Amino acid sequence: MAFTFSTLIQQIINGLSLGSVYALIAVGYSLVYSILLFSNFAHGGFLVVGGYACYYLLTQWGYGVAFSMFGALIASGLAAIITERLAYKPIRERTTTTLYLLIASMGVNIVIENLFVVTVGGRIRALPQNTFPTGIFRLWEGVTLSASDILSLVTAVIFLSLLQIFLNRTRWGLAIRAAACDIRTAGLMGVNVTFLISLVFFVAGVLAAVGGIFLSVRYSLYPQLGSITTKAFIAAVIGGLGSLPGAVVGSLILGLAEMLTAGFISSQMRDLVVYSLLVIMLLIRPAGFFGKAVSEKI
Amino acid sequence: MKRNIILIIIGLCLALWPLGGYQEGIVILMCINCIAAMGVSILTGFTGIFTLGHAAYMALGAYTTAIMTVRYGVHWLPAVIAGGLMAVLIAWLIGVPTLKLTGDYYAIASIGLGEAIRLILENWQSFTRGARGFPGIDPYTTRTMAVTTFIILAIMTFNFLDSRLGRELRASRDDSTAASLMGFNTPHTRMKALVISAFFCGIAGSLLGGYMSFIQPSMFDMMKSTELTAVVVFGGLGSMSGTILGSAAITLIMEYFRDISQYRMLIYGLLLVVIMVFRPEGLLGSREIWELFRVRRQKNNA
Repeated sequence: MAFTFSTLIQQIINGLSLGSVYALIAVGYSLVYSILLFSNFAHGGFLVVGGYACYYLLTQWGYGVAFSMFGALIASGLAAIITERLAYKPIRERTTTTLYLLIASMGVNIVIENLFVVTVGGRIRALPQNTFPTGIFRLWEGVTLSASDILSLVTAVIFLSLLQIFLNRTRWGLAIRAAACDIRTAGLMGVNVTFLISLVFFVAGVLAAVGGIFLSVRYSLYPQLGSITTKAFIAAVIGGLGSLPGAVVGSLILGLAEMLTAGFISSQMRDLVVYSLLVIMLLIRPAGFFGKAVSEKI
Repeated sequence: MKRNIILIIIGLCLALWPLGGYQEGIVILMCINCIAAMGVSILTGFTGIFTLGHAAYMALGAYTTAIMTVRYGVHWLPAVIAGGLMAVLIAWLIGVPTLKLTGDYYAIASIGLGEAIRLILENWQSFTRGARGFPGIDPYTTRTMAVTTFIILAIMTFNFLDSRLGRELRASRDDSTAASLMGFNTPHTRMKALVISAFFCGIAGSLLGGYMSFIQPSMFDMMKSTELTAVVVFGGLGSMSGTILGSAAITLIMEYFRDISQYRMLIYGLLLVVIMVFRPEGLLGSREIWELFRVRRQKNNA
């Protein structure tokens, strides 16, 4: 493939657009990791719940776009809370080994995915065409900017700013930041830790649903859609697990790397580049760009 | 010694008991899964290194054996051993830089490496025939052959775990700082565990190829890696007999639900969650099965 300036610009636009969707999902991973120190692989499941809730609210029950999206966010947030209460809480209370939580979260992911396979079938669905603006703008020869690119960037900026305001300006945000520092001490200082963890899962679920709706608009909706969160997870690791700015930076890097590979090398190499980036990052700096470096205690 | 004889008797029963074709297939699958699980158990259960990418070593074994037997007409026995050795080689190359990672970070790196190996196999069309899979492998994995391999490897594993090296693995798991202060070269210990576990998984992959006569990169994805580690946790971390029992049990349960394939994965996912919630220490905890009998006998005497 020849190197042309317009391809470069086009792939940067695509990369930023993809990266912004990753960022919404990756922040959820980091948020949960910052409090509970485990990688919640059920995150993909929450995303699928959001996607399907939006689809059914729109098509079966005929609600408006705004209400459907709102409903999807709530549904996904609730799914996250229920998962935490039923699966993670009993494990947390029994042991401090985070591996058990990790395996349980993979189990939850499989359960959610296959619940949809069993109940609504594995068929690929599409959200109605007129749900979101679809126009395509031609910037100049060979470079286009679609409305969904703009929409996903704007939405990511809005939701991530809201999250930032929530964490920095509200009492519960302060509690979450305290718990990220030291959850035991935060509990001793009078923070209701059980409620706080539910809140964190709710916020993570809501963000996952936003990502899920975008992905199902751009591509399509199917039970395995959640597997794309593996890449968002990698973005969170590259940025530094537990760090929110890290998750955003990692997502943009990953989105750009993926799209530039697709544009200039070949689209089959996309995933390989992603996994190589992960391994290289772990070898050079396991804590990621913004993560807290942990040293072994003796 | 008594243990080896019991294992050989179990092996003879598995190999010679008259069974129908379908049951025979289950026995073969059980042996293959147990071999892979034993490998992961050495690394995860006895050395404390959590992996989420060991399906890649199965893939390496399977592809090495398949390409050697189909393309170059090599006999299956050297090809299977070569499959194990190929996994060892790659594990060593991977282990040099990555084993210094501790805790969750090794697990995350192993996801990346496992998926990278799978993607390379998938994209190297000219050599591996890519994502469509590699057909036409000789069905060399018979029941006798699978059971024999399993029993030989099981005897080796149990004796290995009682040896100096086995105690070295456990010491480095329980407290790597203390172990290195006692004079163990813990990075070497970790490497040995990784290489041995990769060998087991490579052999298991080779046998799987010979049993299915068809392999495909997607058979060895992250889901399979998770399953391997989950089975070890289910059997009990630090219990080899628990690993074997757990792996056999999971294989049987999944076979039992084969008819309702739609619900199979749902049940598997629920099983993972339920085990983690209700019995995270696994079937046997960190004890071996004969230790359970011994404890009971001591109680009776007292």
